[in-house]
Amino acid sequence: MTIVPVTVPDTLEGAVILSIIDFFLSIVIIYGISLILHIFPLLNKLGKISDEQLKDGH
Amino acid sequence: MFEQFIGLLFVLGEQTGLTLISIGNIIMIIVGGLLVYLALAKKYEPFLLLGIGFSCIVSNVPGSDLTAPGGLFYYAFRGVEMVIIPPLIFLGVGAMTDFGPMISRPSLMILGAAAHAGIFIAIVLAKLTGEFSVAEAGAIGIIGGADGPMAIFVTMKLAPHLLPQIAVAAYSYMALMPLIQPPVMRLLTTKEERSIVMKQVRPVSRIEKIVFPFVIAIIVNLLLPPVAPLITMLMLGNMLREVLLVERLAKTAANELMNIITIILTVAVGSTMAADRFLTYKTMLIIGLGLVAFLGGTASGVIGAKVMNLFLKEKINPLVGSAGIASVPIAARVAHVVALKENPYNFLIMHAMGPNLAGVFGTAISGGIMLALICK
Repeated sequence: MTIVPVTVPDTLEGAVILSIIDFFLSIVIIYGISLILHIFPLLNKLGKISDEQLKDGH
Repeated sequence: MFEQFIGLLFVLGEQTGLTLISIGNIIMIIVGGLLVYLALAKKYEPFLLLGIGFSCIVSNVPGSDLTAPGGLFYYAFRGVEMVIIPPLIFLGVGAMTDFGPMISRPSLMILGAAAHAGIFIAIVLAKLTGEFSVAEAGAIGIIGGADGPMAIFVTMKLAPHLLPQIAVAAYSYMALMPLIQPPVMRLLTTKEERSIVMKQVRPVSRIEKIVFPFVIAIIVNLLLPPVAPLITMLMLGNMLREVLLVERLAKTAANELMNIITIILTVAVGSTMAADRFLTYKTMLIIGLGLVAFLGGTASGVIGAKVMNLFLKEKINPLVGSAGIASVPIAARVAHVVALKENPYNFLIMHAMGPNLAGVFGTAISGGIMLALICK
């Protein structure tokens, strides 16, 4: 099966399709980012960075 | 002698704007005055509305050619038109923003997508009017993302000829969010729901805050190249802030640069509100559809939070859903103020900031997908 790239038709149907795809993908991508953020606390196992040390780095 | 005197006065008069002023100009001067009034008397986003209102008034006084090619306001608008100003605004926003509330509670991020249904309602309605192409409808819909620089960026790619109307609608509605959102929020929630006190979130460490901008910049450049310039600059500004090592750069981006760019942007937006371009049927439609997008986004955010509550043991205050519409930090502040009216000890601001910040990404993702699908 070959997939032919298509563009959004300039019709009401096109607007509806665009909206559905966009809304659905937005939720998927945001959810994906939130999953990555869920594992952020693991970064703390790498050690602690002191704010004072960073500020004094000049 | 007398005839010469009158003749000279006539020549002088012809060089003023007095003979050129129209009813449309007068209407737009009143509109500009209204924006200034809202900023001064009601304190609605004075940083935005004062510049827009002043520039709108001046631009509708014929004679000075400030907005004509060669005029100062014209060059301010060129910066917007060439998409230089929006990424610089994002640099400043990044340097001003603590993404901690979003990192600490990622489960609320989904509200940043839920609160964008207004964009899609507006797109379909715009197409239903029969007045707009899909690209134009997309640009109109992005008003509902409540993110001025993103609205400008997407419009420049999809329908540059609609930039004045869309920029004005986006910034005006953002400034008017304290008026637009609360009725919808109250309509969709009970007093008990608005009174829910949320649990404190965990503190976010420095290492998490430093890693965050790098991760997001990589994801956005990888998945959403059309909007990468904006989000990359947002993350650059945030990285400068969070590393603490280059405080001078972070402060410049967040203060001096941001202030300069804000002046240029507001003057540029207001200068596009010339009567002949603005007082049209399409402008009225865009203003109306923009309002629908804002109302729809607010409603879908609140409904999204209520749906989440069906599955959560520890309930969230559904007002935080409305903050998912973006417009940082205005929408979070509105959610906070509405909650405060029910319970004067309920400080919702930090909880609302999570979805609010996620809303910035929600708008960017929606805009990016739209650009990828329509501009292909």
